[in-house]
Amino acid sequence: MCMLVGTAGYGQALDLKRLDKLADKASSKAEVTLDGSVLKLAAKFLSGDDPDEVKIKKLVTNLKGIYVKTFEFEKEGEYSESDISAIRKQLETGWSRIVGVQSKKDGENAEVYLKTGGPDGGIAIICAGAKELTIVNIVGKIDLDELSELGGMGVPKIDVEKVKPPKKDD
Amino acid sequence: MSYLEDDLKMALRRTEPPEGFAGRVLARANGPAPAEPRWWENLTVLVRPPRLQWVALSLIVSFMIPAAGLYRKERQARAEGERAKEQLVFAVHVAGNKLHRVQQKVLEMGRMDTRL
Amino acid sequence: MSVAGGTAIRLEEDPELAEQGEIPAFADIVREHQGMVFSLAYHFLHDRGLAEEAAQEVFLELHRHLGTIESRAHLVFWLRKVASRRCIDQIRRRSFWPKLRLDEVPEPAAKADERDPMLSRTLARLVASLPEKARMVMILRYQEDLGPAEISQVLDMPVATVKSHLQRSLDMLRDKLARSVGEIAI
Repeated sequence: MCMLVGTAGYGQALDLKRLDKLADKASSKAEVTLDGSVLKLAAKFLSGDDPDEVKIKKLVTNLKGIYVKTFEFEKEGEYSESDISAIRKQLETGWSRIVGVQSKKDGENAEVYLKTGGPDGGIAIICAGAKELTIVNIVGKIDLDELSELGGMGVPKIDVEKVKPPKKDD
Repeated sequence: MSYLEDDLKMALRRTEPPEGFAGRVLARANGPAPAEPRWWENLTVLVRPPRLQWVALSLIVSFMIPAAGLYRKERQARAEGERAKEQLVFAVHVAGNKLHRVQQKVLEMGRMDTRL
Repeated sequence: MSVAGGTAIRLEEDPELAEQGEIPAFADIVREHQGMVFSLAYHFLHDRGLAEEAAQEVFLELHRHLGTIESRAHLVFWLRKVASRRCIDQIRRRSFWPKLRLDEVPEPAAKADERDPMLSRTLARLVASLPEKARMVMILRYQEDLGPAEISQVLDMPVATVKSHLQRSLDMLRDKLARSVGEIAI
């Protein structure tokens, strides 16, 4: 899967061009570059009836850009540590790493950075697994709890079947 | 009961929700409002009374010939907008999914390497 | 006997039914219990917008499951239980990531009760700063006037734990009040 929207990148966005070379090695890939007028256009088309899209519309109100590159590979070792270091180098100034997780269980390492310098907010997420690499860069203010909720299975529904009448003391 | 407990009862007494709360709940419970009619659906009003039928039809046809070109452009713009929207939805879901997985892992491990 | 959504039984017209605890129509339920549900959420979340959101969700959940309600007593119990759970879930969901928004949304001044003395506001704020479970225990005790056994059923918590939360919270509030306003007679 490959999606491409070419627009002029925002000055504050990370430079992810270095990763373009991985496209040839990937078994599947997706890329999104949305900013400026195209981002505004996309937001305008979000439905007012679909609950998911209503949440997204609210979430992206103050965004200036959203950039995603994600690759899946058939075998391990298709990207190098230097590919990721090049991204991390851009996050050394004006950014703060707020979470770093290394998981031996699924071999995935994940880092989340918050933009601390500059007038706009922003986040960067680097998820590097044995056969997968995903970089997300968001420029602008966004509610991370709401974003995370959109991406999860959601809060488990309260099991109302178990809400039986209260026990009465004899 | 102590004075503190009396004060707590006062501080935590029930308060009414904002005006119109019940109406908003009932509106949501009864489902979404019907979708606004499309612009061409409104034109059917003209054809209901039989004696106006032919007049309405000729008006519609004379309007639609030059409008066809505009309609094509509008359709293209709509298609572009829909594509951009799909990509936005995809990007937001990818970002949200990654954040959510990180959050879950941190909660499972019960520790966090944080620096704010 | 329980009655689902659209069938209206006017309790004021039939006192016998009211005594038996028949379930009113959904609209009547909302009007009768909106204060309780909203207040639980507001005292817990300390934010009117979030409280309305949570309260609406509780009633919508009820609307979906009205057929399972067995009596008026069950209805009240259900509302308290589900409202408590939703509020605690909401706090847990919202508190993981730091906020990128730098501007705080203030409480709307127009909604403040002008008769509320400063102590009430301070106490409400202090209760809202308690740990989640202790906070909900205190709200159920002092807003809803429930005893420890009833609170234990609503929150699925041992009675001893409820009593411990009550005692420790009262001690904490006394201590904080004494430090902020000076010694007061308690």
